[in-house]
Amino acid sequence: MDAVERANAERQKRWLKDQKVGEGAYAVVYRGRELSTGRKVAIKKIKVGQFKDGLDMSAIREVKFLRELHHQNVIELLDVFSSKSNLNLVLEFLDSDLEMIIKDRTLVFLPADIKSWMAMTFRGLEFCHRSWILHRDLKPNNLLIASDGQLKLADFGLARDFADPGHKMTCQVITRWYRPPELIFGARFYSSAVDVWSVGCIFAELMLRIPYMPGESDMDQLKTIFRALGTPTEEDWPGHTKLPDYHPVGQFPKTPLRDLFTAASADALNLLSKCLIYEPRKRITAREALFHPYFSALPHPTHPSKLPKCSTALTAQTIDENAGNVTGGKGGLGVGNKLKRKQTSPREDTKNRMVARKLDFTKDVPSS
Amino acid sequence: MSSKPSNASSWLQGRTVRKGAANSNSQTRSSTPQVQSTSNTIFGGGVKDPSGRTSEYFSMDDQCPVCKSDRYLNPKLRLLVSSPCYHKMCESCIDRLFTLGPAPCPICNTVLRKLAFTPQTFEDLDVEKEVSIRKRLAREFNKRREDFADVGMYNDYLEETEDIAFNMINGIDLPQTEARIAAYRAENAAVIELNIQRERDYAQALKDQEENDRKERELRAAEQRREEEDERQEREKHQREIIDRLETSSKDAAKVVAKARKKHIATSRQPSATTLQSNSRLLRSRAAQSTVPDVPHVPLQDDWYAYEDMFELRPSYDDPYSEAVRRDKEGIMRGGGYVVQEAWERALRSAVAGLTLEPLVGLPQAPDASPEPAPMSVS
Repeated sequence: MDAVERANAERQKRWLKDQKVGEGAYAVVYRGRELSTGRKVAIKKIKVGQFKDGLDMSAIREVKFLRELHHQNVIELLDVFSSKSNLNLVLEFLDSDLEMIIKDRTLVFLPADIKSWMAMTFRGLEFCHRSWILHRDLKPNNLLIASDGQLKLADFGLARDFADPGHKMTCQVITRWYRPPELIFGARFYSSAVDVWSVGCIFAELMLRIPYMPGESDMDQLKTIFRALGTPTEEDWPGHTKLPDYHPVGQFPKTPLRDLFTAASADALNLLSKCLIYEPRKRITAREALFHPYFSALPHPTHPSKLPKCSTALTAQTIDENAGNVTGGKGGLGVGNKLKRKQTSPREDTKNRMVARKLDFTKDVPSS
Repeated sequence: MSSKPSNASSWLQGRTVRKGAANSNSQTRSSTPQVQSTSNTIFGGGVKDPSGRTSEYFSMDDQCPVCKSDRYLNPKLRLLVSSPCYHKMCESCIDRLFTLGPAPCPICNTVLRKLAFTPQTFEDLDVEKEVSIRKRLAREFNKRREDFADVGMYNDYLEETEDIAFNMINGIDLPQTEARIAAYRAENAAVIELNIQRERDYAQALKDQEENDRKERELRAAEQRREEEDERQEREKHQREIIDRLETSSKDAAKVVAKARKKHIATSRQPSATTLQSNSRLLRSRAAQSTVPDVPHVPLQDDWYAYEDMFELRPSYDDPYSEAVRRDKEGIMRGGGYVVQEAWERALRSAVAGLTLEPLVGLPQAPDASPEPAPMSVS
């Protein structure tokens, strides 16, 4: 056993895997413990070897960036070790994510709660951007909530560093509903503004309790955005017609945000509108957002420990979803599994399987 | 703040809109366009689906191909599809053309009657046609695996069914195909009838089960309401008791109240496991646990040093690498939001990041311990 293997074995001994809590195509997530302290952790086991390209890209990205980032609002990578031919990431254990909280209809959000979550999101994001890292997959189910209420950015599988002059970046990132228009138009040179758009969408979702711009396809996403915010003119967004995948999708009028967000404060709408500015250079930055009057105005943001929480019975499910995330952004395509329909054929049993599937049109077709 | 979630995002998509109140999530839906009929004759029924899950196709871009009226001109526009030739037209056109009896379709000249028009379910009319043909066929070609001796015969039967469907959909040898269907019908009348009966039984069973589920849900809801009511009464009774005691007793009022409250808490602190926590109760409990005060917003809460004071960013640098970016004033880099200043800032920050680090200790003969360098500007 050489020195490297010995070091690895030592690290491996520090952690104890408990039960499996979720599985995706590229990783299995276990709940675990630190042997010495009993502290709960999540262990993400990356499957290696069955794909010809070797180690999965997102695992590399995740390790690369999380090793560097240490912040109250960013998930902490505690350790990395290998076992047999697998790579294991030891991550901080977090009980729930923002998506579960948004969907839990028994919870009531006060304006101060939303303010608190937004402040924590922007703080985490500002830290990433200050460290020259784009997250590129912000959405409620990647914002995890610790037991003390702190919100943490997670899933750095699509992250990359930015501000490299002249390096093309892929535009196939960020889950569709949270993807900014410049990426849909195929911009290869973009900036931290893409993450801010996603945060804007999350902000709106926190107020509405449903996704703000749920496009059904990439084409439809653009239409949905324009329907919500009006079609941009050359004045609103200089140069957008020259982007590689630019195509006109029709003219929609601008409607004031107030029409939809009837209960929001003026400050909140002002911040939201600044997050959703078409021209990426004019969009508010994470740092500017933190100094926005919305946050300093009354009511004060709720103390994290008092924020609404899901009931603990859902714990296992959360991690399940995280495991889903592992697979969600693979292959450079930032489409979360949430968008994919599960394909199930309940009527398929062993008897019918040997014959061609008979199509049944006697029932009325349920609309999608 | 979440007072109006509404169906806003569904109209933002401009997609299908549910007709009827199939999903009863008690929200206001004032902004949702509803399919409305301008004709009072025959089409009011919409898509026939008792479960309410199927909706009529509806789009913001609808336009009648006959009179060119669109949704902008007529917000109540409703397009219907003719069943033999599958052409769309609006209700007023149908009324105008076919009220006086059968007339040729204005698009393809097939003779149509008013009753031949049905609401549209699918965006693609080819799909609409295929589905309705298959629906019609499936009513009679309803044999099952059990009706055949072996898999081979069943496969042959499915093959034949598919063949007929294909011919019907694509309009190949229509008379012969109709003859084949008629022959099949004559041959298999008994089996067809039997299978229809079976389907009906199955549907009935499903319906019964749904009904049972619904009843059970209602029962649970009633139970919960009752418990809430009980609790409310309990509380009122307690209030009354306090007031009564205050009237009759001669002790100090504050003491009486405190004593009664303590007793009440002792009796009522057995949460019933079956009750779900209602929103109002949740809110109250959150307001109650205000032990941690909310503090004003502090924008940045970490002390991560980013070397901002170590350099000054100039408005421009002589940088051949980023020349392309700067020349592209209106083009792809501009539109995508790329900012060359960020690249410069990153380069500068990386350059100054290591300057203040102490040399490693333990190295042989560290040269003179360098004093803390003053803030400097790098060009």
